[in-house]
Amino acid sequence: MLTSFGRRLAALAALFAAYSPAPALAAGDLLVAPTRVVLDGPRGAEVVLNNIGEETATYRVSLELKRMTANGTLEDVNPEDATPAEQAMLDMLFYSPRRITLPPNQPQTIRLGVRPPAGLPDGEYRAHLLFRAVRDAVPAVQPVAAGSGVSIALTPIYGVTIPVIVRQGNLSATAAIANPRIESDGEEHALRFDLSKQGNRSVYGEVIVERPGVAEPLLVARGIALYAELDQRVVTLPLAPEQVEALRGPVRIRYLEDRDAGGASLAEVSSVLR
Amino acid sequence: MSKFMHRAVAGALVATLGLSAGVAHAAPATASATASARVLQQITVTNTSDLDFGTVVAGTAASTVAISAAGTRTCGSGLTCTGTVSSANFNINGTRNTVVTITGDNTVSLANGSGGTMSASLTRSASTLTLASAGPVGGSFQVGGTLNLGANQADGAYSGTFNVTVDYQ
Repeated sequence: MLTSFGRRLAALAALFAAYSPAPALAAGDLLVAPTRVVLDGPRGAEVVLNNIGEETATYRVSLELKRMTANGTLEDVNPEDATPAEQAMLDMLFYSPRRITLPPNQPQTIRLGVRPPAGLPDGEYRAHLLFRAVRDAVPAVQPVAAGSGVSIALTPIYGVTIPVIVRQGNLSATAAIANPRIESDGEEHALRFDLSKQGNRSVYGEVIVERPGVAEPLLVARGIALYAELDQRVVTLPLAPEQVEALRGPVRIRYLEDRDAGGASLAEVSSVLR
Repeated sequence: MSKFMHRAVAGALVATLGLSAGVAHAAPATASATASARVLQQITVTNTSDLDFGTVVAGTAASTVAISAAGTRTCGSGLTCTGTVSSANFNINGTRNTVVTITGDNTVSLANGSGGTMSASLTRSASTLTLASAGPVGGSFQVGGTLNLGANQADGAYSGTFNVTVDYQ
């Protein structure tokens, strides 16, 4: 117990020591850790929110529904459009506090817990925890003289969402990669491939693109998910022009479980990119 | 016990944050922690510039002022545009090579507090970002927009808010 406690302390210490603040931080700037929460047992979880701005800020924590589209982006879902599974997630996850005022460099722990109702069907349940500063619109500076035009002030309300996943029962999934290709649209280049899964839970991990005989991976992309509600999505990895040329030729694309979850291979495909 | 640990963790965080980065790096606790820091992957989002359309003198016909994601202004016909302009910039830091998506409002309405309103459409420079494998900033994106001014738009100071979020999968 003491060891795990000490390790946790040290991890947190490293986390915050590693962050070196850049100049000119605005009110509402924030740090959130971790970036993904999976609850697969009775134990809860904690998420740290830190005010990394230079002024005291009030943050709101809320639970949002999102669905993944076939091209991998996340779409907001209105609460009235929730599926029974999404509604069950909103009902069984509790978290607090939900409104926090923090001075600069002051972290706060948000505790998450789950109370699955009796008879909850086996499956994966997900919602997204949104952290953002509460800000009022900053009034625009009046134009220099009356009748001299309009001035405009737009205040961004910006934040971070992280997925919170509850797993009930024995769930499994397998994944596959198909049809890797380089696509260009004007100045925008991307490596795309189809990621599919079979099973009743999401898959999550990192994509590594390697060339046989070359030690360093050509491309690494972490944090790629295919959520439970989808059977297939397109993964788009933006490329710089020089990366496009480097990728052409024979490659092996591997999809690995997150390093923290063991790093097992989920899917793999060999191909020649043109 | 659990409550005590909770407090102890919070206390340690405060203590760590009180140290300068250099001192913290020199501490043995940091050295031994590197391996387990992955347990708590972090993300930071910082706002380093605002979306600023400058000052506009409206014309007799409806027109638009656009600020590109790169921060350059296109002043519509019949308008006079002055002042400095900028697009909104956000920096993201997090685990190297992580893919994040960016979502937000596509339109925003502005009001001058005395009945005048305007709308603006917003564009984000990226919907998907892969955080860099090295360097001080993991990634950044900009928000530009096009402001729709009516014919003889009422003078005044217009303000509004728009949402933008960085999403982890």
